[in-house]
Amino acid sequence: MSRVEGARKMIEITGLNKWFGPFHVLKDVNLTVRDREIYVVCGPSGSGKSTLIRCINQLEYHQEGDIVVDGVEVEKGGKNQSLIRRNIGMLFQSFNLFPHLTVLENCTLTPMLGLQTPRKEAEETAMRHLERVGIADQARKYPLQLSGGQQQRVAIARALCTRPKIMLFDEPTSALDPEMIKEVLDVMVELAEDGMTMICVTHEMGFARQVADKVVFMDGGEIVESDTPKAFFSNPRYDRTQAFLSHIL
Amino acid sequence: MTVVFEPKPSRPAPSTVVGPAAWLRQNLFKDIPNTLMTILGLYIAVTVVGWVLNWAVFNAVWEAENRRACLDAVGRSGACWPGVAEWLPNMIYGLYPKDQVWRINLGFLALIVWMVPLWLGGVKSKVAIGLSAVMLYPFLASYFFLGGDKGLVWSALIALGLSGLVWAWATALCERATGLSVGEWLGLKVAGATDDLKQKRVRQGAMAALFLAGLGLVSLWSLPEVRTQYWGGLFLTLVISGIGITFSLPAGILLALGRRSKMPVISMLSTLFIELFRSVPLITILFMFNTMLPLFLPEGSSVNQLVRAIVAVCLFAAAYMAEVIRGGLQAIPKGQYEAAASLGLGYWQTTTQVVMPQALKIMIPTIVGNFIGLFKDTTLVSIIGLFDLMNMARAVGEDSDWLGLFIEPFFVVSLIYFAFCFAMSSYSMGLERKLSAGRDR
Repeated sequence: MSRVEGARKMIEITGLNKWFGPFHVLKDVNLTVRDREIYVVCGPSGSGKSTLIRCINQLEYHQEGDIVVDGVEVEKGGKNQSLIRRNIGMLFQSFNLFPHLTVLENCTLTPMLGLQTPRKEAEETAMRHLERVGIADQARKYPLQLSGGQQQRVAIARALCTRPKIMLFDEPTSALDPEMIKEVLDVMVELAEDGMTMICVTHEMGFARQVADKVVFMDGGEIVESDTPKAFFSNPRYDRTQAFLSHIL
Repeated sequence: MTVVFEPKPSRPAPSTVVGPAAWLRQNLFKDIPNTLMTILGLYIAVTVVGWVLNWAVFNAVWEAENRRACLDAVGRSGACWPGVAEWLPNMIYGLYPKDQVWRINLGFLALIVWMVPLWLGGVKSKVAIGLSAVMLYPFLASYFFLGGDKGLVWSALIALGLSGLVWAWATALCERATGLSVGEWLGLKVAGATDDLKQKRVRQGAMAALFLAGLGLVSLWSLPEVRTQYWGGLFLTLVISGIGITFSLPAGILLALGRRSKMPVISMLSTLFIELFRSVPLITILFMFNTMLPLFLPEGSSVNQLVRAIVAVCLFAAAYMAEVIRGGLQAIPKGQYEAAASLGLGYWQTTTQVVMPQALKIMIPTIVGNFIGLFKDTTLVSIIGLFDLMNMARAVGEDSDWLGLFIEPFFVVSLIYFAFCFAMSSYSMGLERKLSAGRDR
């Protein structure tokens, strides 16, 4: 039995369909993520993994189906997107830090601007999170002066500063050198252990084995199968999953 | 067995790569064609500078009654400066009454004084001071330059300008001396208040008191009216281009945002405006505004000719600026918008805090290039009969004493334009260096 059996549903997706023009990217996707659960989503490129998590915080709008985030129904066309995004932090493959602001300013921008936190309090919170990801000593530098791994850790701290209940990771380590991948994964593992609800699109199968509650395999816009890491890696049901795993393991 | 890896220390570069001798060899005397070009370039430079110096300084006439006397003395081999000297006040101030010229000087001095804190160290609110100068100085200057009857509204605006100047300097001095803003310092020293709310009240009170004092001063003080017909020369050029430059940047930003807007009506209107004004020469727009606008206005109402010219220049410049800004906006990666959106920032927060600072920084050279172009384009207002610097220079050669004296005044006008444009250009280069320091690898 899962460690979070019966916990509150943080994300509930039912019958999700999305098209990019005539192209059907997501086909009848159903997914339920409970509080403190860690989902790892993998699959070949173009399978709709990123689009799926981008639909959750409305960076992409869906056309059919329902998405409920922490009890709030996501309205189609982004009508309540700011309300939805308030509870969700997101990490990107290309970090997307704001290059004209220092590391600290990157972290305090949203709390001060969007949430009206006084500067002092915002800076203290930011420093606490930077400490946690191990870059407090770089707080006054600009993002482009840091290595890729450090930048991604700043991005994690920046997301945490908005106090999200859910974190979405869109291939956070794909643009990094092997030595830097580990430092980012370590932070993610720590987050997972602290009880953050997470959906990670990643091909770091070691990470999946270590912390995931469920591994989801997607192909052609559908969820092919979804299982606990143990069952998923040792005994995949579909030939498509087996073929994919044989390529990346 | 493990061997410890020791990185080799870096050695200094050999003298064939660095140092002045290496630079000379690599850039000026690399091979035979390169050396020949260097010598040829040097020869041309020396000859041209020699000609100009001979004409403008060594062979020049410095004292004469009229152009005839100059021609008798040196012919055409030297410049005839007395004509320019006699007309110089007109070239700078136009036909502004001589006893009122101090108002122009004081007006521009006020602007310089307002801007000085931008170059002082230890001043934190430079952006606010710069903005205050841009937004409030025109009210103050308008009264210096125009004078005459000031109604209640204009008095209030002038007082706003005056108190803005005082507040800007108070901010600069306070931040330099104590590191606190004026509000914090006054709050602490006068009221002993440490919490934000009380300090805010003290600040607002001080601002209101300053404004009322300014209003009192303004109502006591009056200047005779100098109608815009008498404005001219460099002064007029600076007024038109100054207003054009200050207006074009914010208007251009709004138009560029409008053109990229997802709302079709706004985007269409912005595009229409931009394309309309960009595809018509400035001269045409000036003519249109000058001759056709009065036809459309109701009988009896008239718009000052200078205002017509300024409006035409502003709209033209805004359309061009909009495309420059749009170019900058397009250079911002989509990821920046997505990151801002995922953090929960709204449209205006994203635009003002994330996108615009980056876009403007990228476009500084082009923006300043546009400013320089606008500054020079204002010479076209001479076509509709305004006596700007250029038109004034032409007037020298039409004076009966100095008939035909054209080259010398145009030479001086070129120098003046060069000084202003080069200053703008250097400032933009400095700004670029400062803004990119420590931010790019």
